[in-house]
Amino acid sequence: MKALFFDRSQPATGGWQRGAQTGKALAVHAVLLTYTVIALFPILLVLINSLKSRKAIFRDPLGLPSLDTLNLGGFEQVLLRSDFGLYACNSLVVTILAVGLVLLLGAMAAWALTEYRFRGNLLLAFLFAMGIMIPIRLGTVSILNLMVQLHLVNTLTALVLVYIAQGLPLAVYILSEFIRTIPKELKEAARCDGISEYKIFFAVILPLLRPAMATVAVFTMIPIWNDLWFPLILAPGEESRTITLGVQQFVGQYVTDWNAVLSSLTLAIVPVLVLYLIFSRQLIRGLTAGAVK
Amino acid sequence: MAKVQLKNLQKRFNDVKVLHGIDLDIQHGEFVVLVGESGCGKSTLLRLLAGLEEISDGELLIDDVVVNHQPPAKRGIAMVFQSYALYPHMSVFKNMAFGLKIAGASKADMQKKVEEAARKLKIDHLLHRLPRELSGGQRQRVAIGRAIVRDPKVFLFDEPLSNLDASLRVQTRVELGKLHQELGATIVYVTHDQVEAMTLGDKIVVMNGGRIEQCGAPLSLYHHPKTLFVAQFIGSPKMNVLAGQVQQASATGVSVMLECGVLAEVAVDGSQLQSGDPVSLGIRPEHLSLGTELPTCFAGEVTLTEELGEATYVYTSNGAGQDLVLKVDGHEEIAVHSQIRFGFKAGMAHLFDKDGMALPRLLKS
Amino acid sequence: MKHSERRPFPWHILFFLLPGLAIYLVFSVYPLLDTLRMSFYGDAADGGHAFVGLRNFVTLLTDSTWSDAFWNALKNNFEFFFIHMLLQNPIGLLLAVLLSLPKLRLRNTYRTLIFMPTMLSVVIIGFIWQLILSPIWGIAENFMYGIGLGNHFDSWLGKEGTALITLGLISVWQFVGIPMMLIYASLLNIPDEIVDASVVDGANPLQTFFYVKLPLILPTIAMVSILTFVANFNAFELIYAVKGALAGPNFSTDIMGTLFYRTFFGFQLQQGSPTMGAAVATLMFLIILAGVMVFLLVVQRRINRFQL
Repeated sequence: MKALFFDRSQPATGGWQRGAQTGKALAVHAVLLTYTVIALFPILLVLINSLKSRKAIFRDPLGLPSLDTLNLGGFEQVLLRSDFGLYACNSLVVTILAVGLVLLLGAMAAWALTEYRFRGNLLLAFLFAMGIMIPIRLGTVSILNLMVQLHLVNTLTALVLVYIAQGLPLAVYILSEFIRTIPKELKEAARCDGISEYKIFFAVILPLLRPAMATVAVFTMIPIWNDLWFPLILAPGEESRTITLGVQQFVGQYVTDWNAVLSSLTLAIVPVLVLYLIFSRQLIRGLTAGAVK
Repeated sequence: MAKVQLKNLQKRFNDVKVLHGIDLDIQHGEFVVLVGESGCGKSTLLRLLAGLEEISDGELLIDDVVVNHQPPAKRGIAMVFQSYALYPHMSVFKNMAFGLKIAGASKADMQKKVEEAARKLKIDHLLHRLPRELSGGQRQRVAIGRAIVRDPKVFLFDEPLSNLDASLRVQTRVELGKLHQELGATIVYVTHDQVEAMTLGDKIVVMNGGRIEQCGAPLSLYHHPKTLFVAQFIGSPKMNVLAGQVQQASATGVSVMLECGVLAEVAVDGSQLQSGDPVSLGIRPEHLSLGTELPTCFAGEVTLTEELGEATYVYTSNGAGQDLVLKVDGHEEIAVHSQIRFGFKAGMAHLFDKDGMALPRLLKS
Repeated sequence: MKHSERRPFPWHILFFLLPGLAIYLVFSVYPLLDTLRMSFYGDAADGGHAFVGLRNFVTLLTDSTWSDAFWNALKNNFEFFFIHMLLQNPIGLLLAVLLSLPKLRLRNTYRTLIFMPTMLSVVIIGFIWQLILSPIWGIAENFMYGIGLGNHFDSWLGKEGTALITLGLISVWQFVGIPMMLIYASLLNIPDEIVDASVVDGANPLQTFFYVKLPLILPTIAMVSILTFVANFNAFELIYAVKGALAGPNFSTDIMGTLFYRTFFGFQLQQGSPTMGAAVATLMFLIILAGVMVFLLVVQRRINRFQL
């Protein structure tokens, strides 16, 4: 029992009170397990019930779908009544473009700010740093004005531009910290060989930034994919709707159709969960490494 | 002050045995140094004594009481860590008083004991500083002070000098020696530095692969290493080792045909050897001397000299695997690339059988 | 090398810096400053905007048709924040401490699963809980009966007295993973030797935690708190998804984010006003700035001494 819960490869701090330790281990696992159930139960509930008939959803909400109760009608409704494929595609385009550009432009700006000394250097670094704390949402009134003037309302371009501006501060911060850890011999050797500054960055530095970029990518991606505010305000049109907005509108419209609501939520949850389970190791490493400073 | 006994002490991590049954007696007030290369188990052994690791098997007694299952504080030990492990958010005073505070000592008592220890270590002017405002040497003293304040039966030191720079290390080493005399405390001290071991220890325990290789007074380890490992570990520069075969062996001496073609005479009891047995001959650099009149004599070209002032290390090679280091007087002038002849007296050399075990030396004492 | 006295203009710096900086300036810095500027303007007779000084702020803070809503939203927002501080961070701390215990098995599994809700959109989370708490479905009700508290069930999201707290709890449930993860990382950062030293000094696990570990993770807890503060005073989605822009019932769940949205876009009979919206945004900016300043000047400075 003890071996199951605590890895006996690692030493205990003294072996007195073996029994008490097993008891403690059980208590710790009880707490963690309870909280894990609390964290997962609501999500699982939605996933399970999205597969069931309306009757079964209400009669036995906790039951797994069986042959009798299996019903994919909800998904049919969602795909029929709304353009889920398009929404997902929009979200994908916006997220990929925005994250890709945040990484590239962020790395370039971080390089310029940390590698070169020039007038205004510190001021610009401070300006970017402010963006980490001050939410871009507060400028929404003017952003909307700007997008109207640029004829970008209801376009994905508007979202991409705003998300780049939103993601850059943190990207510049994390990448700058990382660039500082690159040994300067590397750059000096390249300069002695007469390689241009452009080539030093793109051929030498950029490949080295890959691990930090993975962290930045995760941090940038999640808020963009999940955002409701800017799609709602800048691109509410049917053609440019993102998946979060699409689900929000759909649920608002078909509140009473439980099958459809549960299915649309499931469609929004599953891709994120799958991606999360694949990349959780990467994400958690980034999160815990970033916390160090 | 206390005596500590280790009886067949074992430690396993998972199914990997790290300590294979350590037996050791430590007397009242003895300064014992555990020494060995990294990974030999010396730090693990110290942590077993401290109570920071669970003992897998065997018994640990402090003052004749089995303490296997007692928590660290109840064992009456105090420990000085390699990185000093000062609490970064507490002042020097609070760092030193922490153990007393946990034990429920009165304010006045804490004040008195901390100030006394601080005076002893000459850190009384630092009591209100934070650890990060101190130099490495000062932190080191605070760490020692924290141990002293608790008035433990046994002090444990885990490589306490390894984070100090060279000159400070020597100075602190001397002070530690004095402190030991002053406190008269039992000390177990872990290091990988054989100079620290030789200078500080009443008793040195050389560890290798989770076992005690040899245990004894510094000079007995130097003069009578039981194994090739100990012979090479103690002494700097390292003992020279040459492979060879026994040509003639008796209880009064052995002659060895070295692979480099030199016939060497060694004053050891060779009654258990037969001619033709493979052996290793060990000779310390300081026991090789220049000249041609010695019973065993080598020739070689000087490849490098290191002049330390009071002595010079001479690195020689004959181009056929006979690479020897000599320690000669600093006044000798020896040119690189010159050919020199040198040798040793039969009584100076060590001989080890094919298992690396030393043969008894026949020293005229 | 001919013009060795004058260095050539550093075009490469411009090349690296400009694209990112331009987008950041145009779509983040400028709109923010412009919003601050607009908060000093009002609708003019000709349909444009005219400078009105502090009138918008005076209206917002004193004219009861506006100020009631504003003070209500501000009060609610602080309540929302305190719920997070009281629950999210302590629970996160507890989970982090448990996860950082030595020799714990399944550590990574727990960590991954508990963090999972944080990954999902607030909107989705809002809907999920709306369904679960719905008296129609009855999941929560049955659960309450199951643990013998059936009579205490209520449609919490629908009642004025409980709606905001319920939403706060939902938000805590979703984001507890963030303090957990950050605190966990900072606990792992405490050198083993320091913890060993306190064990040797005789401290039991509880004493080691309160005297040694807790002071050392205070900077992280402070950072988590300011992150929570900024996020809470910027929150919008959860309330909007669950209660709509009107933040019902009777504005009992209205916070700064929803007030901002309504003021800007209008609702029902009231016309939206960009300039009043800008004024609300400016006040939000000042609140967040004040929070960040307090963090930087007071908390961070005081806590610096605890750093390793």
